[in-house]
Amino acid sequence: MEINPRTDGSVTILDLKGNLTIGSGEEELGEMIAQLLNEGRKHLLLNLADVLVIDSSGIGGLIKSFTRVKNGGGKLKLLNPSRNTRQLLSITGLLSVLEIFDDEGIALSSF
Amino acid sequence: MLQGIQHRATQNMQKPALLKVVDHFGVKRIVPLEKPIFTIGRRPESDLQLLSSRVSRDHGAIIYEEGTYYLVDKGSTRGILLNGQRVTRSELHHQDQIGVGGDKDCQIEFLEETVSAIFESSQDLNLSQLDSTTGTSAKDELRRLARYVEVQQAFKFSLTPDDVLVLIVDAAIEIANADRGCLMLKNEAGQLEFKVARDSKRKLLSRADFQMSRTVVQDAFNENRSVVVTDCLEENQSMRQSALDLNLRNIVCVPLRHFQMNEKTMGATETIKTETIGVLYVDSRQSQGAFSKSTLTLLGSLAFEASKSLESVRLMHEEQEKKRLEREFATAREVQIELLPTTFVQPAHFEVAAYSIPCRFVGGDFYDLLTLEDGRAAIVLGDVSGKGISAALLASMAQGVIHAQFNSGLSLPEVLTSLNRVLVQKSDDNRFITLFCALIDVDRTLSYVNAGHNPPILVRANGGTELLETGSMLLGAFDFAEYQAQETKLEPGDVLVIFSDGVTEAVNASDQMFGNQRLEELVKQNEGLSAKEIKDRIEQEVLAFTRGLPQGDDITLVALKMKSLVP
Repeated sequence: MEINPRTDGSVTILDLKGNLTIGSGEEELGEMIAQLLNEGRKHLLLNLADVLVIDSSGIGGLIKSFTRVKNGGGKLKLLNPSRNTRQLLSITGLLSVLEIFDDEGIALSSF
Repeated sequence: MLQGIQHRATQNMQKPALLKVVDHFGVKRIVPLEKPIFTIGRRPESDLQLLSSRVSRDHGAIIYEEGTYYLVDKGSTRGILLNGQRVTRSELHHQDQIGVGGDKDCQIEFLEETVSAIFESSQDLNLSQLDSTTGTSAKDELRRLARYVEVQQAFKFSLTPDDVLVLIVDAAIEIANADRGCLMLKNEAGQLEFKVARDSKRKLLSRADFQMSRTVVQDAFNENRSVVVTDCLEENQSMRQSALDLNLRNIVCVPLRHFQMNEKTMGATETIKTETIGVLYVDSRQSQGAFSKSTLTLLGSLAFEASKSLESVRLMHEEQEKKRLEREFATAREVQIELLPTTFVQPAHFEVAAYSIPCRFVGGDFYDLLTLEDGRAAIVLGDVSGKGISAALLASMAQGVIHAQFNSGLSLPEVLTSLNRVLVQKSDDNRFITLFCALIDVDRTLSYVNAGHNPPILVRANGGTELLETGSMLLGAFDFAEYQAQETKLEPGDVLVIFSDGVTEAVNASDQMFGNQRLEELVKQNEGLSAKEIKDRIEQEVLAFTRGLPQGDDITLVALKMKSLVP
């Protein structure tokens, strides 16, 4: 899975591309986030538009990332999850904690 | 020890006979027939294994019946020849020539083992010729032959790997009339490793004691050929020098080979690989002249048998290990089956039926039915993320925690909160449980919490279908998660089906999913039946849907039906 970071003001946007499944993506995401937190970049927006497949390992990755950022005094939010991802987040009740947005502008201003 | 074995062998009463075999690789062997049924074929389990595509896996056999040996064809593709004629079952006589698979490359001669017969056969091994050139007597040669046959028999008894190694070295020393010998085997890194060494007095020698000609050993191993160094023979100047340095006069080093058949498809091209797995080395300081041809042949045969023996021992250990693991898995499966029963003591106010089929030996799904002190029934179905053993372990723990917490009198939300905390603390970051948990009161009030689980289907007797969701979070994600129960009233005839996503995500040959829609329809169609019948129907439908495809996920289903009012 590819992770391409870019910034907009105080927010770092991570464009994810590929699958977030067992053995793929979860570790890289964790490493990237750890690094960003070290650099003091605490506002993170994960762009999931190009993430097609996400499994329990992927969900685990999102949860872990969210908790890490939160513990570091920051915020992590999600942008444009696919329909499947959205459904999964809904059923698992994670939508009450993980904020999702359809529009990048609105997402950025929410931080 | 070997004398004891010999004694046992003679008590056997089978008329002694043997086969003189020259196989496709030119290896000459003498194989005694000491079983009533002696199999010949390509399979490794054959008493005489012949590696050739013209030989069937189970080609034929030599059968001993009432004092006579018979050659039998076991339905081989290319047949068995006796003195050039194809036979299916025929008596064997001394010096009969047996052809297997019509193959001229492999020659087998059947010999009855009388003293004169042995002498005649050993003519072929050039014994008489050697009398003058090597100074050994025919008697010595015969003794060697007999010793070799003895060793053959000893191999057949189950010895520990170390016993086998010692036996091989001792036999080699005797056959070669050497001072000492050693056996080296290739280790996992591909290097030759010293295994055992003996002297001619059967004393075990340590590695440090055993200085040998390294060049001889390396050549035999690397070039996969026997290396012989004697007084009279100049193999190679450098080799002789290293031998002389150690005061050695005669050396024989024979490679141990492992043959492997690679069968690609049934009967199609088969390639045979040989791999050198070690060396058998003997040397002596006495001048005894050149090694006789028969000695070298016998050493070759010994090496062949030794390789086979070592391979069997290795395979046996692998097999034992595999069986041990299988037993452990089976035991784990039994434990899980106990935890997830298919029959229940039926509560008073509703019927319940359930089944769970793990994807692997054990699975990450669990369910439970508890009756609390106040008469309420608790039903739970959970799905641990992942599959197999790790998920199963967590599933068992969760089931236990739920059971304990209910029995402590905690409320439904409290039980879930408690389990969630345990999970967040105890499991690593990627272990979650989605769960549906409900309490059914005697007055048919249903209170439930759905923690991130695919919503159960409630089909009402009066028509109408509901999906039971509460929007609570799955367990194990965040320790601050809160759980709230919702309530509804159930009526007689209402059917509630709780299931894991293994049901709805089951896939057929066209890659379509079973899906929620299909499951709902199925429940609606069968709502008039008993809980068990509904469960059975769904189970059969899912099975038919996936029709022989391997199961992709753990499948679990619990069906409840509220009982009709007692008139």
